[in-house]
Amino acid sequence: MSRLSLFFAVSLLITQWGRAQEAPAKINLEDPDLVFVSDSVIPIPLEIFASLDKMGAQDWGRQIESRDIRLDANRSRTAMLFGLVVSEGFIGVQAQDKESVRRLGRDVLALARSLGVSSEVEEHANAIVNGAGRGEWDMVRQELDRTRQTVINKMKELRDDELVALVSLGGWLGGTEALASVLRDNYSVEGSDLLNQPDLIKQLKSDFNGLPKRARRGDLFTQVSQTLEHLESLMRSDETGAISEGKVIEISLATRNLVEAIYES
Amino acid sequence: MRVRLSAFIFVFGITFAAAQEEELLSLTSPYNYVKLLAQEAALPSLRGGEKFILRESWWSGNLEPGKAKLIQVQLFRRNAYQFWLAVPNREGEPIINVYDSEGNMVPSKSVGFEGKNVVSTVVEPDTTGVYYLRVSLKTTIDSPQDWAVIYAYR
Repeated sequence: MSRLSLFFAVSLLITQWGRAQEAPAKINLEDPDLVFVSDSVIPIPLEIFASLDKMGAQDWGRQIESRDIRLDANRSRTAMLFGLVVSEGFIGVQAQDKESVRRLGRDVLALARSLGVSSEVEEHANAIVNGAGRGEWDMVRQELDRTRQTVINKMKELRDDELVALVSLGGWLGGTEALASVLRDNYSVEGSDLLNQPDLIKQLKSDFNGLPKRARRGDLFTQVSQTLEHLESLMRSDETGAISEGKVIEISLATRNLVEAIYES
Repeated sequence: MRVRLSAFIFVFGITFAAAQEEELLSLTSPYNYVKLLAQEAALPSLRGGEKFILRESWWSGNLEPGKAKLIQVQLFRRNAYQFWLAVPNREGEPIINVYDSEGNMVPSKSVGFEGKNVVSTVVEPDTTGVYYLRVSLKTTIDSPQDWAVIYAYR
């Protein structure tokens, strides 16, 4: 091989090597060699509300419910309730409702105490209550997200992985109930696509069904399982990219029934 | 009196040690130091009128040069998202790209930084749904790297 040929061969090799390092334009998601990171991150309600608010101001104050929490020894229910209460705190932030956020800050602490993580949450809960009193909404939002993440981290440290999944599920449920309710009151094709979450539900359902049976025993958790199954069929957009008004109403009813069952059981 | 003093010192010691242990527990993620690099790079985007809102959730792990990992994330139309990927070695040259649920790369705006060890990308998804972040390292480095991804929305 001449020196010139060798030069071109090496140049080609370097070019191909450089190209191999570029990210591909398309990936085959079915490729068994792909490595997925197992940690799932569930969007917080404010992420979704931010999108909806870009279409016009919404009446978030109507979504605030003053529900009393009743504590019992069922840690699985308490974990879901914790996720729900934090998500209601986010709704309170969106509505800038001082009283509801102060009340939810106190509920968060009571639930954290019941889960055995009050020392980790206390500082955040106090910051939520005080920040809401002063109307410092950016700070309250951050503290709510920190509270949720702190509890999840602590549960992981304590090897309470089933509770991690239930906190996430409760948080997602509370946000979805509020979103569906807003869309039901003020339906638009464009806004309905925010409920297009089939893969997220599939993941939540898989996480829930993967929990040990002792963590999902009882009527309440049968209802959780059935509702997730039902929502999976509803929260999928049609060929136009929309979710029909009828389905939005069904999603609203299904999520509301489950939220009430968690509070009242 | 001496017994009471000893008991006080003992109880104080236990309490102090427990408090210290709690402080340490909150810092036990072996990837926290990489997350801090990403957070530092994110600071300018979290200020001003068009600021992004940082999520507390994040991902981390260890990457081999030339290998990639995928992170599933639900994104919502009309929002913009910014992701930061950091590795500790300044020659690490991490790569981050976003793909839709069909596996097609989504157009995004890359944001560069002074060092080579942090990259960032901004996407504005056309549709609501599941997306995949593909994180990888260029093979200009030969040792595996810890990594962390943080994200923000607006």
